[in-house]
Amino acid sequence: MSGREKQVTEAFVAIATTLARGYDVVEMLNGLTGDCARLLDIASAGLLLADRRGVLHVLAASSERARELEVHQLQRDDGPCLDCFRDGAPVSVADLSAQEERWPAFVPAARAAGYRSVHAVPLRLQDTVLGAMGLFGAEVGPLNDDDLVLGQALADVASVALVQDRTATNATALSAQLQGALTSRVVLEQAKGVIAQQSGTDVDEAFDVLRGYARDHHQRLTDVARAVVARNLPARRLVDHARSKITRGPAATLEA
Amino acid sequence: MARPQWQLRAELGGAMAGAETALDAADMLCRACVDLLEVDGASISMVHEGANQGTFGSSGEMSRRLDEVQFTVGEGPCLDAVSGGGPVLVPDLGDPAERRWPAFTRAVLESGITAVFALPVAITTTCVGALDLFRGSTGPLNATSLAGGLLAAELASLPLLALMTADVDWEALGQGDDGWEQLASLERVEVYQATGMIIGALGVGSAEALVLLRAHAFSQGLTASELAWQVVGRHVLVDASGWRRAGDDDAGRRS
Repeated sequence: MSGREKQVTEAFVAIATTLARGYDVVEMLNGLTGDCARLLDIASAGLLLADRRGVLHVLAASSERARELEVHQLQRDDGPCLDCFRDGAPVSVADLSAQEERWPAFVPAARAAGYRSVHAVPLRLQDTVLGAMGLFGAEVGPLNDDDLVLGQALADVASVALVQDRTATNATALSAQLQGALTSRVVLEQAKGVIAQQSGTDVDEAFDVLRGYARDHHQRLTDVARAVVARNLPARRLVDHARSKITRGPAATLEA
Repeated sequence: MARPQWQLRAELGGAMAGAETALDAADMLCRACVDLLEVDGASISMVHEGANQGTFGSSGEMSRRLDEVQFTVGEGPCLDAVSGGGPVLVPDLGDPAERRWPAFTRAVLESGITAVFALPVAITTTCVGALDLFRGSTGPLNATSLAGGLLAAELASLPLLALMTADVDWEALGQGDDGWEQLASLERVEVYQATGMIIGALGVGSAEALVLLRAHAFSQGLTASELAWQVVGRHVLVDASGWRRAGDDDAGRRS
């Protein structure tokens, strides 16, 4: 198997594992955007998910630039990911500079962030559109067919993983499942705040501390975040763990 | 007869417009639930440690009484919804197989109500109460009414939040015409992060942290989001002795 094939397989396996083992949605979606950024001929990916009121929220992004661009679309109510969500269909733009009339707020912001092209794919489950994923390219040009297919396939599998019970397609059960994802995101942001406050760092460093601790202890990111917010797990412990890794070096793994 | 979802959402969002107090707002939301969700009564209760517990909003006397039964007998679908964090739907309270709340069931059936649907109400990630829907006919809530109930339960967090923010009144908090706008102003990344920092600094729960953020924002003439940015950027600090601007004293940056 080539290096790329292996990576693609791993990307699908990661999503499927969330189905099999019970899942951490936020981690899965972060992984999805990171995998897309790596595997497809793009620079960054961002992901929007709708709550039961149909309001979109940024759930994950492969970089801060992409995250800010997704937030910008929501704040200005303007952009390809929004159109993609509303229509439930992909939106492809090979050259953003030609689209300023279509998205007067989004195009300048995207270009300022260094993006020249965009392809937005919907996250769909049967007739319901759950959200949209934005694939942002640093160069002018369309995504090739293979990448389009792969991007949509990853989004489709993620949609299935988001809704664990495939028979529950009625709006209420579906929205309850998605609400879990959105709640996880709230807890994650709160946990970043707790750690940032107690360690004197900023929230981005706090996220790294959180993620590193969860990974090294084989725990779900959301579970660790929840424990930190409930003050069952002192933030100090996560910070000490992160600092001990720095002194011991990258190869260090956790002893009990 | 059946309203489309978007219309239900809009009508619920405007249900508390013009309320003069948080209690009024809670009552208005309950009455809207009766008008829109094909139920005969609705009430909002708060069940939260360290705060008042009890029935705060209702569509009428009967609903208030039924909601209060749960606090008197210490059992009921509302209490279970809060402790479990999920809806507790009872389409037929009179079913002989229903044995979960014997004292509550007896009291409720006597009043002619046969179905109860309890939907939890959360402030950020903490469940602080429930929206109870009562009906005189057995059977499940239809999908539209259930979806509407879940929307109403989200909006119910606003008067409960106002109630927890002790010395700030409903009107002063600038409750606009649209409950969804109010909620959206609190559902921002910076607000979540700032409440986390308050939790870290003061050791309070997440609902209390939001209350504190909002109360201080109001006292400074800021929105919750504006203050949140300042907290996250460490231009405003909070500790056990209160709020201060960074650099106001010798303590300087927390390590």
